[in-house]
Amino acid sequence: MEQNIQIETALANIQKLVDNIEKVIRGKQKQIQYVLTALLAKGHVLMEDNPGTGKTVMAKTLAQSIASRDSQHGVDFKRIQFTPDLLPMDLIGSHIYDDDKKEFIFKKGPLFCNVLLADEINRASPKVQSALLECMAENQITMGETTYPLEKLFFTIATQNPVEMEGTYPLPAAQLDRFYIKLTFGYVDEETELDIYRNYLGIQDNLEHIQQVLSMEEILFLQQETSKVFIHDEIIAGVRNIVWDTRKHPDISLGASTRSGITFLKCLKAFALVNGRTFVTEDDVQYVAKPVLDHRLIYRNKDARQKALASILDKELSRLSKLKISG
Amino acid sequence: MKAQKLYSWKKVLAQLLLLGVPTVALAFFLLWGWNKQFNILQNDYIKQTMQFAVGMGVAIVFYGYRFRFLTTAAILGLLLFFFYQTVNNTVVGEFEMFFVTVQMLVLVILFSLGWLVGYGLSRSRILTIAWSVFLLVAQVVMVSKTTDIKAATLISAFIPAMAYSVYIIYTSELIRNMNDDDKLFGWFLFKRLLGFAIILAAILLPILYHFKKDFEGVEKEWANAPANYDKNGSNSENMTKENRDGSLSNKDQTRLTSSLNKGKRLVFVARLDNFFKDGKTPNPLYYTAYYYSKFDTLTQTFETDSLMPKNDLFRPNPSRIPLYFAKTDSNVIKNTAATLNRKVVTTDVYKVLLSPDEYIAPSTSFFVQPLPVPNEYKDQFKSAYRAKMWVSDLNSAYFIYNPAGNQQLEAFQQQRFDMLRRIKQTDYTELEKKFMQYYTFMPRDEEYAKIKSLALDITKDAKTPVDKMIAIRDYFLSKDEFGQPLFKYSDNPGIPGLPSANKLTYFLLDNRKGYCAYFAGATLFMLRALGIPSRVAAGFLTVDRSSKNPGWYWFYEDQAHAWVQVYFPGYGWIDFDTTVPDVNTQQASQPDGTPPLNMQQAYFVADGNVVSVDTVTKRVVMDANKLLFHDENYETQEWQRIELDVSVAAVSRDTGSVRLSALTKGMHITAASFAEALKNLKPSERDSMQSVLKKVPKPVPIDEIKIIDPEAEAQQKKKQQLAQPQPIDWIKVLWLGLITIGGLALIIISIPWLIWKYLYARAKGSKDGAAKAFNSYRAAIYYLNQLGYPRTNQSPEQFATVTDAQFNTQFRPFSRVYQKLKYSNLTLTASEAVTVDGFIVPFVKQVRSKVPFKTRFAKFLNIYNTIQYFQQPKIS
Repeated sequence: MEQNIQIETALANIQKLVDNIEKVIRGKQKQIQYVLTALLAKGHVLMEDNPGTGKTVMAKTLAQSIASRDSQHGVDFKRIQFTPDLLPMDLIGSHIYDDDKKEFIFKKGPLFCNVLLADEINRASPKVQSALLECMAENQITMGETTYPLEKLFFTIATQNPVEMEGTYPLPAAQLDRFYIKLTFGYVDEETELDIYRNYLGIQDNLEHIQQVLSMEEILFLQQETSKVFIHDEIIAGVRNIVWDTRKHPDISLGASTRSGITFLKCLKAFALVNGRTFVTEDDVQYVAKPVLDHRLIYRNKDARQKALASILDKELSRLSKLKISG
Repeated sequence: MKAQKLYSWKKVLAQLLLLGVPTVALAFFLLWGWNKQFNILQNDYIKQTMQFAVGMGVAIVFYGYRFRFLTTAAILGLLLFFFYQTVNNTVVGEFEMFFVTVQMLVLVILFSLGWLVGYGLSRSRILTIAWSVFLLVAQVVMVSKTTDIKAATLISAFIPAMAYSVYIIYTSELIRNMNDDDKLFGWFLFKRLLGFAIILAAILLPILYHFKKDFEGVEKEWANAPANYDKNGSNSENMTKENRDGSLSNKDQTRLTSSLNKGKRLVFVARLDNFFKDGKTPNPLYYTAYYYSKFDTLTQTFETDSLMPKNDLFRPNPSRIPLYFAKTDSNVIKNTAATLNRKVVTTDVYKVLLSPDEYIAPSTSFFVQPLPVPNEYKDQFKSAYRAKMWVSDLNSAYFIYNPAGNQQLEAFQQQRFDMLRRIKQTDYTELEKKFMQYYTFMPRDEEYAKIKSLALDITKDAKTPVDKMIAIRDYFLSKDEFGQPLFKYSDNPGIPGLPSANKLTYFLLDNRKGYCAYFAGATLFMLRALGIPSRVAAGFLTVDRSSKNPGWYWFYEDQAHAWVQVYFPGYGWIDFDTTVPDVNTQQASQPDGTPPLNMQQAYFVADGNVVSVDTVTKRVVMDANKLLFHDENYETQEWQRIELDVSVAAVSRDTGSVRLSALTKGMHITAASFAEALKNLKPSERDSMQSVLKKVPKPVPIDEIKIIDPEAEAQQKKKQQLAQPQPIDWIKVLWLGLITIGGLALIIISIPWLIWKYLYARAKGSKDGAAKAFNSYRAAIYYLNQLGYPRTNQSPEQFATVTDAQFNTQFRPFSRVYQKLKYSNLTLTASEAVTVDGFIVPFVKQVRSKVPFKTRFAKFLNIYNTIQYFQQPKIS
């Protein structure tokens, strides 16, 4: 019973968190939900879009909403701006000679934090990229003979410019796979944009006065709860069907892997929780499939990028929607 | 360049099996039919089917790859052309060339046709449709060439082609458009075809049921047909035909074929009171059933023609005429056209194997009177009748069967030829033009010109028509330079080796072997070429075999015959038989038996219906309206009740003797009395039927009762209906078609609405929470889909939100609860349960109020939306 109450307050807090970010980022409710989904699923998120669409602001707001001035209970937030001359050491840290103690001590880099904003990740050299992504996967850093574990809560929000832009090193498919969710921001609709222009002063003010609404313990607790979200057998079968269909589709040259399927399931559960539910529905499948799967597939042509996944989803949802209620 | 596959092997295999095999089967069936009709095909239908099948099969496999049609077809055409030219140039000799080139041509045409069809089945929709149309047109052409159009012929010609057309268009489209990547390709194909078959059956079975009676008639025809084929082989001919009841009849047409089948059974026995002038020597006459006045050159068949001028064919049905009641045809009397040397001759025919319906008598008969078979002969003979005819003194069966050395007969022959010599060729010009044109008609072509030149050559010394006739007879009897007979009789003359050759010229000029129809046919055209009106008669030849019972003749199956009748103005039609004697069958097959001699005179005959039968006291009461008393005929409008004493009566029907108990109320009977008691009661001139009935004793002693079966009567009517192709009632056909199409259309149109009514009823009716939620959700989704708001590419929540915005409904809360019910392990709260229960009715009401009736009506006509609803969306 006690736990239930806790879940309910935690779920309410998630809603508060969403509202909090909404104050600063207008008209991006779904994107906020996706970011939180990745957070609760213990994954990382990659945001891609043209400069100036609010990627960085979103990451900062999220960090501030869960960061605390009090470093003991709050969340430690770091930001790295990736540039072509950045070195792996700048991320991980380096051994420095301590004159007093006459020995090399390890000076921790910015990776040792709870929430990391890796800005414009595709501007850095592949060497740096792979160093970061390895950490994300292993959750630890090895320097020489010592292994340093990362924080219990380690969440990366990476942003990148569209690959077509100049001065970028596109992330290879294997590394894209490390990100649970890839988001595109896109422009807001006309009404919202007008609203933003009217209140831009107020919005900037809001950013500076963001309050912490979720503690680190609560996030860790929610991460634990995610695995307990109920998922119906038919939905699991649905995930299987979708993954299979991506492999059979004539216009997809590389379909989704089994790991992608597992990630998909994790994200489904997390997304349900973000939406205040303890069970996964058809809606979750519809919403989560694209951000989770799209960047893992390699399409044969542009047309397929637009249509293939949507039609696979449509078929599966049509099957699910006609199922009788069982159990 | 490597040829790319267009279809997977599964598709090609399906095309070969599901399209190719039925096409080959139909092609075989059609070629078989065409081979029967067209000589040029040479009865090689198996080889021809193979040629077609190879062309088609290769094309299907070939076009399973991405080949261009025009280029490949052009290359194939060129190859075939050069092949044909080479063969054409290398063969030497007229005969060989004709033979080989014709076969080559058939091969090329069939192979190319097969190729085209294969391409059509594989790729082209339009070509497949064109092929179906071609088949139907070809069948129309073939039916129009067929001489005997019966229901069975029509059905066998059209039904397979039509069924095939429907099947092939559906299946070829189905296979072409199917996704062959699917692992369950075969299963899907099977399901679709099964569904198609079920739909077809659902449409056809009610129609079949509706027309059951008509089809049963046709079925009987069918059942009869194979039996004939088995018996005779495929290409031989009978002069008689066997009826369903096992009896025999003459045929109303005779084909010239490669062989003739003959039996040896006794058909009928007849007494003919035609004697030479001495009154003792019998003068036999041929018994005629039909006149063949027409010859179909295409099928080489002699046929009867009801439109012949001066029709003197009398064909009553003796089994339908009451005993002793006579029937006379005045038209025949008028048309006999014989005025000189004629007399009335009587014949009594006792039928054994001959059908009761059949009538046969020497020409030119005009009178029939059914007679009872005397009691002691009832086992031997089934029925009997008396016939009367106008016979010329000059007519006789003796023309070829002239017993050599019989001086009396030779004198008779000489005498009659002398008389006939009075008729000159010029006398024919005085005859009616139409009559002459009809009876001297012959086809104009080279072959018949050959017949004409031969006829002119043979008869160059003859002056009068009868001399020309004799010259032709002598030509058939003449010997060649080795002293061997020029013409031989043969039941198996064979057919000419050259395709489509005229069988008559082949017979006359090359083969010189044949059966009666060949001799008669050749004589007919030689006579017609000489401008002598003539026709072929079919029936039985009469042989005088024994002197024991003069005037009695026995007729066996192998006496079925065809001969020529020549018209002599004033003397009428005279029989001439030019068939040379068959050395093998001079002897009668069986010795003649005892004829039924003691025919009794009936004094009293009544015709009417049975009122009551008492088998104990042997009394029958009947209502009669026709009476025969001492050969005087009486008839009334009112039924007259007569009591009959049947204690000694013999009861019979067409099939033979029966017991008295076979009589039942309402039966049509004829009762005859030979009683001595009636002999002296002579009728007076003032007598009416009533007064006659007062004179005769009561009950009337009856000796003979003949039952006229109503069943046979009905059958007879049906047969007549079948025989004369009835004009098709196009209005009825049109209405039936319209009603069928309309009914189908109505069902199809109302399907969406019916499904909606069903789903809505289920949604309203279900009680259980989960079922209620599911049915409500399904109904709502279906309704929205039908109204043109499909869920495509939207999640349930998105869809519900959009719907709510559009119609101001409560779909979203319901959708949420539904999703929870469906996918969670939680139970519903009380308020959620209320949401589920109270959703569907207000929802539908709300949507209905927002969509005008006109729109809803139009949308519910759209079956595509319904199909879309049930269809699994395709991945694209």
